Amino acid sequence: MGEPLSQVLLRSKRHILTIENGLLVLLLTGIILLATLQIALRNVWDMGLSWADPTLRVAVLWVTLLGAMAATRDDNHIQIDLLTRFLSESLKKYVRLVTDLFSAFICGLLSWHGGRFVYFEWEDGSILFASVPAWVCELIIPLGFGVMALRFLVTGLLRIRPQRAT
Amino acid sequence: MILTGLLLIFLALLGAPLFVIIAASALLGFYRSEVDLSVVTIEFYRIAEMPILLAIPLFAFAGYLLSESQAPQRLVRVTRALLGWLPGGLAIVSLVACAMFTAFTGASGVTIVALGALLYPALTQAGYRQNFGLGLVTTSGSLGLLFAPALPLILYAVIAQQLGIANGITVDDMFLAGVLPGLLMLAMLSGWSIWSSRNQPLSTFSWQEVRAALREAAWELPLPVVVLGGVYSGFFAISEAAAVTAFYVLVVEVLLHREIALKDLPKIMREAMVLVGGILVILGMSLASTSYLIDAEVPAYLFEKVRSLVTDKITFLILLNLFLLILGTMLDIFSALVLMVPLLLPIALGYGIDPVHLGIIFLANMQIGYFTPPVGMNLFIASYRFNKPILQLYRATLPWFLILLLAVIIITYWPALSLTLVGR
Repeated sequence: MGEPLSQVLLRSKRHILTIENGLLVLLLTGIILLATLQIALRNVWDMGLSWADPTLRVAVLWVTLLGAMAATRDDNHIQIDLLTRFLSESLKKYVRLVTDLFSAFICGLLSWHGGRFVYFEWEDGSILFASVPAWVCELIIPLGFGVMALRFLVTGLLRIRPQRAT
Repeated sequence: MILTGLLLIFLALLGAPLFVIIAASALLGFYRSEVDLSVVTIEFYRIAEMPILLAIPLFAFAGYLLSESQAPQRLVRVTRALLGWLPGGLAIVSLVACAMFTAFTGASGVTIVALGALLYPALTQAGYRQNFGLGLVTTSGSLGLLFAPALPLILYAVIAQQLGIANGITVDDMFLAGVLPGLLMLAMLSGWSIWSSRNQPLSTFSWQEVRAALREAAWELPLPVVVLGGVYSGFFAISEAAAVTAFYVLVVEVLLHREIALKDLPKIMREAMVLVGGILVILGMSLASTSYLIDAEVPAYLFEKVRSLVTDKITFLILLNLFLLILGTMLDIFSALVLMVPLLLPIALGYGIDPVHLGIIFLANMQIGYFTPPVGMNLFIASYRFNKPILQLYRATLPWFLILLLAVIIITYWPALSLTLVGR
């Protein structure tokens, strides 16, 4: 019934991309404006927003993970990649499958242990600043690495998909 | 232990992302010491506890925005109007413009693509030999790394601070320390340019052109003054200077010059943040792996090993130069910093090398690593961008390489050059 699964997947992929990019742009714009406002307040009126500095620091963490997620999507992480230059195309595919699966496994582990970290903080009810609970700010760690794990897994598997005749 | 280490290095050479490799080594280390693995993410979370890191996305964005605008053209025009009348003028213009541009954009090959594409044809047109021009633009792609507010200077100070052994090193120290060594490199390369173009006809100096060029660049000119003046005078903290830069560049290029359409901003922001995410995710993972290394007393062990082989400081420095030169051809500057500084700094301290001086040695070495044959990254970027065979680039960059190698040697064995301004 309804649309085929592949269509649903494609559409949700598009939505996720929009949300990710939107969040990244929004965060960076927010950082620029808030940091500039803070300087203006400090130098011109000799005051400051007490929540601005911790917010900016958490925003850097979010930008880091959202940026790394985007880098995973673009296949644009910092890497050495000295050997694959000398491999044939077909061999390269399988080598990249191995590195992608390995990356997916490690990101999966990071996501899982990040999740446990967030859970501990939630149980403790620790507060980061004002009344913002720490776990909300840390949530991006398991989320980010989880998304990266999935991306590595999917790109890895797509590499060895049999080429469809056109 | 050694076997898994080798396996990880092999995976890195096959192109697994470096942050994954570093994360894997940290996870493995803590697993072996029976420490709860959530420690890795707790260490990673320290990214949100270092106020200085705010400077990185802000400077990176400003740099990307500048390179997408017409600012490079204006920068070249101003320097050309001011310095073009000198013998070797255009070459010196290129060096100065590239150094300033790289300081703001970081040495990520952006300089070759944005400025080299502009300068190389101009140099050939002005009658410089093709190889001279090629060598110059390729070399200049990493020139300026030692000038504030280059990201590698910031990153080195952050990493050194994390180790807690570098007697209160600050980003400001690094910004000051880089000035004289950077100027030395610039002066030596300018000297070579003047010498090689001694037969070139001189162009004339025109006040009219100076005025016109200055007027055209009127909005960007205050930028280096405000940022560098603000930072060096202590008026701005580094991250404040970064915020001002990002905000100012945004207003100037998007609202005043209108060279970047509002609708293109998200794309540029995303591109800059891909770079930032790539750097900071590596930094975050290295916080975990470094804390494991320190727990396991690896730096102390390495120091003992090195100590038993190398007894004096000079031999150590020679080996350090060689090692960093090779490292620089294989690793980009950010991962090299993150991976190697935690291991090298304790050893270097043991030989009585100042941490600030080590930082300058490290970055100066990395800078020439960018175009050290056979695999320096900028050689490939230039070969691709100017459509020239890689072998021609090896030849073209050789004199430049030798000059900068000499500069690196001077920087290494004359610590005062780096340390005088810092007052250490």
